[in-house]
Amino acid sequence: MPECEDPLWPCAMTGAAACLGGFRGLDVIIHGSSGCYYYPATLLHAPLHGTFMLEKEVIFGSEERLNEVIGELAGKGNRIAVITTCVPAVLGEDIRSILAAHDVILVDSPGFAGDVEKGYQTALSTLAPQVDTGMTGINIDGASLFDPFSRGNVQEITRLLGIAGVPVGTVFSQDNLEKVWQAAPFTLGTNEDFPSGVGTYLGGTLGFRTMMNTFEHIARVYDGADIAPVCDEIEREEDRVTYTCDKFLRRFDPPSAAIFAGASYAQFAADILERYLDADILVMGTRNEPPESSRYPAVQVQGLHHVRECIERQAPDLVIGSSFERSVSAGRAFVGLIPPLRGKVRLAHQPLAGVGGTLHFTEEVLNACMEHKPAVQ
Amino acid sequence: MTLKPSPSNTCRTGGCTLTGALSVTTHVRDAVSVVHGPKGCTHHNFSLLHATNLDNDDIIVPALVSTGLSETDIIFGGEQALDRTLDAVLRDDPGVIFVLSTCIVDTIGDDVGMVCRKERGVPVIPVPTAGFLGGSFQNGVNNALLALAGMAAPGSKTSDRNTCDENKTPSVNIIGEKTLEYELCGNYAEVTRLLSAVGVPVNIRFVHNLPSEQIARLGSAQLNILRDPALVPVGEYLKKRFGIAYVPSFPSGISDTTAFLETVAGACGIECRNAVAEEQALQDATLAEFADLSGSRVSFENAHADQDCIRTVRKVAKVLKMKIAKNGCPVPLPTTTPVGVSGVRRMLHRWRCSIHA
Repeated sequence: MPECEDPLWPCAMTGAAACLGGFRGLDVIIHGSSGCYYYPATLLHAPLHGTFMLEKEVIFGSEERLNEVIGELAGKGNRIAVITTCVPAVLGEDIRSILAAHDVILVDSPGFAGDVEKGYQTALSTLAPQVDTGMTGINIDGASLFDPFSRGNVQEITRLLGIAGVPVGTVFSQDNLEKVWQAAPFTLGTNEDFPSGVGTYLGGTLGFRTMMNTFEHIARVYDGADIAPVCDEIEREEDRVTYTCDKFLRRFDPPSAAIFAGASYAQFAADILERYLDADILVMGTRNEPPESSRYPAVQVQGLHHVRECIERQAPDLVIGSSFERSVSAGRAFVGLIPPLRGKVRLAHQPLAGVGGTLHFTEEVLNACMEHKPAVQ
Repeated sequence: MTLKPSPSNTCRTGGCTLTGALSVTTHVRDAVSVVHGPKGCTHHNFSLLHATNLDNDDIIVPALVSTGLSETDIIFGGEQALDRTLDAVLRDDPGVIFVLSTCIVDTIGDDVGMVCRKERGVPVIPVPTAGFLGGSFQNGVNNALLALAGMAAPGSKTSDRNTCDENKTPSVNIIGEKTLEYELCGNYAEVTRLLSAVGVPVNIRFVHNLPSEQIARLGSAQLNILRDPALVPVGEYLKKRFGIAYVPSFPSGISDTTAFLETVAGACGIECRNAVAEEQALQDATLAEFADLSGSRVSFENAHADQDCIRTVRKVAKVLKMKIAKNGCPVPLPTTTPVGVSGVRRMLHRWRCSIHA
């Protein structure tokens, strides 16, 4: 059924802005209406520009307006990127020809082309990242402005790589623009729903076990990497998580959980809950395509109506998702994992990746569950 | 939030008509708002409305349904998608369905009105929107209010009405509250504080958390109080349709509250001398609370504030004997003109923080 009640996931245009808006040295223009501009501008907290199209440009063409906005930005030292929205995409104008006189990156990513991940990929492939085999370090992947944990993820993985004596290559997509074409040969993942596909992928960083495997991989391929301190930290902190979760289980039943997130974070959350709390994963509702193989009951959930149905049918103790999910969770224990995370002040850059990410997620879950005090059977 | 609209051209930054209209229609509690366009447009607005509702401690989720137009619909026309969506929405038995179009739908030329005219057993009301093609955010608000007003029966003459209950107490309607503003609850509380001082109840909040059946009561108030002067076209329409006079805005700043009391009391035929005296005393006490700001040199931070707001805050600064200077301490201006005594008090607390920072 194409119609969708209260759709929960942004469009491809927002995804493109989430990618391009993260690069310093790039001025991003949303070519479309003010409505199309304000949403990504407020969601991503990025300095975006807009053409703010009016009716006359729909009728007579948008060339003059586009040139006007580009003219204001040109010559100030930054490259310029233009993202097309739905209306310019169907007007039939040859935007590429209009932009031919300018040094502009054109990303054709109208909202109707798909969801946020699609737009992110389109934008990144338009930039055409390149590996520079002479570059040292390891790239960090999956840092999309759309992800409220991305800054925390980058800080945490930068810290862990630093402990291992490995410099950071390019951060996709939160870095200086020129580094897109000077990427290191190896890449680590954070939020794997936003992969760059650049370099050799060494693995993810969500969860202790995944991290251990990834750092062992680093030790094999990266000369001079000293992973021992990182492995020590992983083991030490996993012991703390195990102890704390065990203490919880001495007093409370394991939670039954409904998880709603992108596939990557949803899988991470389910693994943590099951491994350390013996939780019952009732449903793993993914905003994007669910993982091809998962031992959890995975289904794609894109509208709030569907979320509400899942929660009412499964009656979980714990709901994990966005503030949309919290709105229909009827006072159940709740942990925020994906945007939007409204109604709560968030200033610190908390991670989900790395050691700190698992610690943060686990303490959020335990505190939420203890606050709601599930009954001992 | 970093916003860099460029070039600065006010006719382009009036916001999205669709968002304006949804800020009204989603406050009709048993209604469903169908957004005819790609899913992304609905998500943008759903996310925004959800966030502002949470800010206002309102956990009711806005009921939006997208027709989910795909690239194929955009090429071959989206009317079938709208028809199919309306049929699907009917299964949830809404009291009323509002249909709002988007930029792309008006660009491809779908006949939304034709689809809405089909008999479905509940009112299906098209609201002229269409994003930037429909005008500004404020156009969306006004268009939605006018569409909703059409659901109320034409009223009798004012002299025959005058009441909203058996006690023959004159009442007022609150028209066009800015449901997306952060200060929504506080501003309403300030207005009802003043209304209570002269014993005038609110008939309906048009539109805030309103069941559709209550829209029929729109014509039974003595006076309409508009949120701000941008709603004058709505005030004029209601005056023509129901014969109800209007006050063009909530009280601006601290000194307007006494004039507001006198206007409301006058329209409702109520004696208000005591209420005005008490209000004057409250104004004096509030200004005395901030006497420490006297002599401070300040400048205003928000270059986008409207003239009414700047006029109002200059007046407050003057009363408090503050000096406005370009090199003064930057103090924040409210997004909109501070409403009444409580609005000014909150603004002065923020100023004090800035001055003492």
